[in-house]
Amino acid sequence: MIKVLIAEQSYLIRKGLTHVLNQFNEISQIEVLSSHMGLNEVVEHLSPDILIINSTILNENDKCSFSNKIKNDIKIIHLINTILPSESPNNQISIYDTKIKITDKLSPLIKDLSKELVDEEGSEELTQREQLILKHVALGLTNKEIASKLYISSHTVISHRKNITRKLKIKSVSGLTVYAILNGIIKMSDIS
Amino acid sequence: MRIHSNMKMADLVEVNFEILEVIQRLQIPFGFKDKTIDKVCKENNIEVLFFLQLAQWFIERENFPQEELMQGHPNLLITYLHNTHKCYLEHQIPRIEQEIKNLEKETELPGESVQLMIKFFKEYINEFTDHLKDEEEITFPYIQALEKANRGELALSDFNKKYKNYSIDKYLANHSNLEEKIVDLQSILLKYMPPPVNNCKFTNLLLEIYRLGKDLKDHTLLEENVLIPKVRHMEIQLKK
Repeated sequence: MIKVLIAEQSYLIRKGLTHVLNQFNEISQIEVLSSHMGLNEVVEHLSPDILIINSTILNENDKCSFSNKIKNDIKIIHLINTILPSESPNNQISIYDTKIKITDKLSPLIKDLSKELVDEEGSEELTQREQLILKHVALGLTNKEIASKLYISSHTVISHRKNITRKLKIKSVSGLTVYAILNGIIKMSDIS
Repeated sequence: MRIHSNMKMADLVEVNFEILEVIQRLQIPFGFKDKTIDKVCKENNIEVLFFLQLAQWFIERENFPQEELMQGHPNLLITYLHNTHKCYLEHQIPRIEQEIKNLEKETELPGESVQLMIKFFKEYINEFTDHLKDEEEITFPYIQALEKANRGELALSDFNKKYKNYSIDKYLANHSNLEEKIVDLQSILLKYMPPPVNNCKFTNLLLEIYRLGKDLKDHTLLEENVLIPKVRHMEIQLKK
């Protein structure tokens, strides 16, 4: 499911935008922020799929530290306080745009994102490879150690771990250890 | 609905009993009789506006009053966060711990699973305690000193000497994510534990954990969106 963060100063516009976004069943969570303050922390913490941000907020925020961190993972939609030409790109929304126009601009993005996510979320079952990685994580090995043991890159280990966490909804090493023991992947005696 | 300062404090609790948490965390004693919010706050040295904003947020969750809360005195925010911690650590968490222990007696869960959960939760308590200690001993005194330095009550040279290498970004770097393990705990209990026989006890345990998780989310929101930006602002002011 898709997570959206709205960063916009105006209460009325936040409300209106939330109303438009609520039309999409694919969106599971909408969080709002009324200024640039705390933006970096919230982005990091929430890791939204889409960030809809007023262009004046983006200017106030320390651009460099922010854009580098999120450039790859988050789709940014710019909310602009003036009227835009009719051929404006889909990642720019004017506060004067009609509901239909906003919906049309957001639709393709949301459809694409949800397709990606469905593919990923398709299976909850861990693959054999993931089980193996999980076993080593539960035994207390670091990503680096697992990588060298299985002759793969640390990057691959990290990507497996991301998938494990997404499938199980368990993130911490100790949580994963509990899971591994409950499911007989390792034994209680292996860790003590 | 809009809460106003002439409303009676007792009536406010009737509107939404979760506001009891705000009252407790700001250390407002009960026994309101017919006193208004304004009177109760003034008697307890609490900025009325700050209280109203927090209470309003509790009944209107989708509108977080970030800027309004930032106007409040930092000590109020610290009092609020401190007492929230204290309540978690002295009350909510030990109760959850006890209920996990009870699972062994009162359900037919295999002993090993329960031991595992206890171990997991003990670790969590330690992390929680460390987080709290860090805030109480370093971060909160730092914010209070910063506030005094800004008002001229503490000499700038003294402040700089004591906090030469500290800033709120240091705190953020160590800011462990206390919500994360609660989500793990929810997943394990809900999805992966063998189902217990005594459903009522188990459900209550889950409810308590979900409640703590929701509370922690609010707590993070206050820290990330109010406390930290406010302190950053104070740091910039001091440098001017």
